[in-house]
This record gives sequence, C-alpha cells and structure tokens, in this order.
Amino acid sequence: MINVTLNVNNDDYQVEVAPYHTLRDVLRDKLGFTDVKTGCGEGECGGCTVLVDGRPVTSCLMLAAQAQGKKITTASGLATNGKLHPLQEKFIEYGAIQCGYCTPGMVLVAKALLDKNPHPTEEEVRVAISGNICRCTGYQQIVEAIMATVNETN
Amino acid sequence: MSKENGLFRPMEYFKPISVEEAVKLLAQYGEKGAAIAGGTDVLAMKDPRIEVIIDITNLGLNYIKSDRQGLRIGATTTLADIETSPVLSNSPYNIIARAAHKVGSPLIRNLGTIGGNLCNASPSADTPPPLLALGAKLTLVSSRQSREVPLDEFFAGPFRSIKGHDELLTEIVVPPLSPRTGTSYQWLTKISGIDESLVAVAACVVFDGKGEVIKDARIGLISVAPTPMRARKAEEMLRGKEASDGLVEIVAKIVAEETRPRSRADYRRDMSAVLAERTIKEAIARAKGTTK
Repeated sequence: MINVTLNVNNDDYQVEVAPYHTLRDVLRDKLGFTDVKTGCGEGECGGCTVLVDGRPVTSCLMLAAQAQGKKITTASGLATNGKLHPLQEKFIEYGAIQCGYCTPGMVLVAKALLDKNPHPTEEEVRVAISGNICRCTGYQQIVEAIMATVNETN
Repeated sequence: MSKENGLFRPMEYFKPISVEEAVKLLAQYGEKGAAIAGGTDVLAMKDPRIEVIIDITNLGLNYIKSDRQGLRIGATTTLADIETSPVLSNSPYNIIARAAHKVGSPLIRNLGTIGGNLCNASPSADTPPPLLALGAKLTLVSSRQSREVPLDEFFAGPFRSIKGHDELLTEIVVPPLSPRTGTSYQWLTKISGIDESLVAVAACVVFDGKGEVIKDARIGLISVAPTPMRARKAEEMLRGKEASDGLVEIVAKIVAEETRPRSRADYRRDMSAVLAERTIKEAIARAKGTTK
C-alpha cells in the first residue's frame, strides 16, 4: 500500500491506496465523492470525469498514486459557500439534467472549456463534451445550457 | 472496487526520476513490469500479468521541439499538447496534430501520450500514418544501449512491437522537412466520436527543386493490415514522375492492392484507394502551394 495526499476541491486528504487503485476508486469509494460516477471503467463514457490541474480526465484511467501532488476538482467543488456555479444554475434552468449521471462530467468539462476559452462556438462546445455520453437528453439542452452560460457572463 | 477484468492487481508502484532509473526497473521486472504514462491503454486493458507499475511521467520526456535537425517529440507528451502545439501548426507536420486530435476523446487526450499510442501498437492506432509518411524514427533506450528504429520497422503484429521488455521509448524523431513538401491525412470512421478508423491514409509528397517532378513520396495506412503499413509499391510509382490526376488514380489503386485487410476487406480495400487518391492529391497541391 502507498500513502498519498490527494488535494480534492482545495482540501488535502491522506489516503492509503493500492498501486492498482484508480483515482475514481479512491475518490468515490474511499473518500465518498459520489459525484464521481462509475460508468464503463474504460474511459469511453466520461461518467468519472474530474479535473486534474484544471484539465478534464477520465479518473477511471488514472492511478490514484499518479494524482499525488495534483489539484483535483470534482463537480461538488464547483459551488462556493453554498452558491451554485453559473453552469450548474443554467443546467437546471435549461433542463439539461434528467437522470443526472452524466451531469458532473458535463459540468466539469464545460467549466474547463470556459476557463480556457470564454467565448466558444457551439461547435467547440460539442467537441469539448464529445467524451461524455448522455443517454437521456440528446445533448441539445446541455449545449444550450453551456452557451447560455457563455452569453450571460459576457 | 474497480471493474474486475482478469484481476489487474499490480502490487508495486515506482516513479523513477531518471531514464537510467526507469530502464533499470524495466530490466529488473521484465514482463511483469509495465511502464505507464497516461495509463489510458494500460488501465483499459488491465493485463493481469502486470505486477509492477513504473510511472514514467517524471522523466522529462514531455516536449515538442523543432529545429534544423528536425522535429523531436518526447514520448510522454500528451496527445492534447500535440493537438494544440504551435510548433506543428502551419507546417506539413500538422498531420501529426490532426492524428493526435483523432485519438479517443478530449478526456483521453489530456492523459494519453504519443508514446503510449505507438507502443500499444494497435493496427488502428491513429498516430502512425502521419509519422510513417514523414519518415519518423523512434529512440528506444535500455540499460544496455540506446537505438534508433525507423517506425516502419517497429510494428511486429497486432498489439506487438519490436520493443523489448527492458526498453523504454523516449523520443520520436522526424527528419527536417525539405522545401516543396506537402502532406495530408484523411480517414473514415465506423461511427463518429471516439470510434476507431475504418481506413486511414497519410501521404507525404516532396517535389524537386523546380517543383515539377516528385522527388519522394511516402504513404502510411492503418486498419488495413495486421500493423500500420506503408504502400511502398505505390510510393515507388510516384517517385521521379510529374504529378497528374491520371497518375494519382493509378497509384491509388496500387495502394489498395498493397493492403491486407482482414474484416470488411472489400470495403476497406476500395476505401483505401479513395482515401489514397484524396490524400496524394491534397499533398501534391499543398507541396505546390496551390492550397493550404
């Protein structure tokens, strides 16, 4: 077992992990971040998306040991002092959440995009979410919610 | 906890801080050790034979450099960094960036590396065709030696390469571009998004000093043979000739004849000719500067 310090949503957590534990395993099962979902386990669905140093990754394909020294953000870390992030508000307003399973990943990917590119085109938004599968909405409301966030903050 | 798939349970994790240290570990553990950078193939495959993880992300192999000696890409450079690199854009090297953009999804590209894509040695890997077309060589390092292997000698079979268990891929080296070089990379996929290419072709065409005769041509393909391949007979037919649509159409058919597809063979062969024609024509136009 290895001792690692994981910085999640600006807090440090000391955990003991096995070499084969993925970041997803540790975030969800050991640290209780149930906003990090279990989907396919193969990096194809995006349900386990977290931000690592601001970049969205599939946490099921990253070893927990590799997250040492990195800044990890999960969807529950986007709200500040109980106030939702504008993206989260727009997702609710535009009906971009049905079962909610893809939502943490979608919101994180959108946040990473807007942090890098505050004025994306709709095409750029669609490319950014192309690694996150949604089985409910058909993606339209998700794209609209993100574009609405872009338009409102400008 | 994680998806049990043949019980992937490595019990040791190392994070060496030098290539020397890394290759010593690879030599020590042989087949039981796995080098891991982004982990997007290693953790997706979950090979139960892996007992030791050797994390190679701290070896300083994350760079893209271009000078008169050519292009050097560190093996653990992420596909996302390659996709957006200003070093590659606005140059015939940009087919490498296009290939990087093709791999997986934005999430996978933030983790996955060009070295990983090559060492996984899939017959459908997205980065080989442009690198084959550009004449890339790989630097393989072990405790015993360092060697440079042309990429077209690297692949041995589906998911197999000639890289030894004690060797680490450190760098991809692409020769400097001759003037009047044009490149192109095009593909067909099964469905959109994350899916593999059904057929993909990359072409690199170099004209002579007067810009009339084709001095050199290289054509790389994936998903049409057990390994990424070059269409050498077709290349030979282009060399020393003046470019014409008629010549390209004939050469494209030769490309198709050189393929050895396993499944959906007829369709893949037909599409190899279609994509070969398109990419050779586009490479020629770009070499002549008539299109971007």
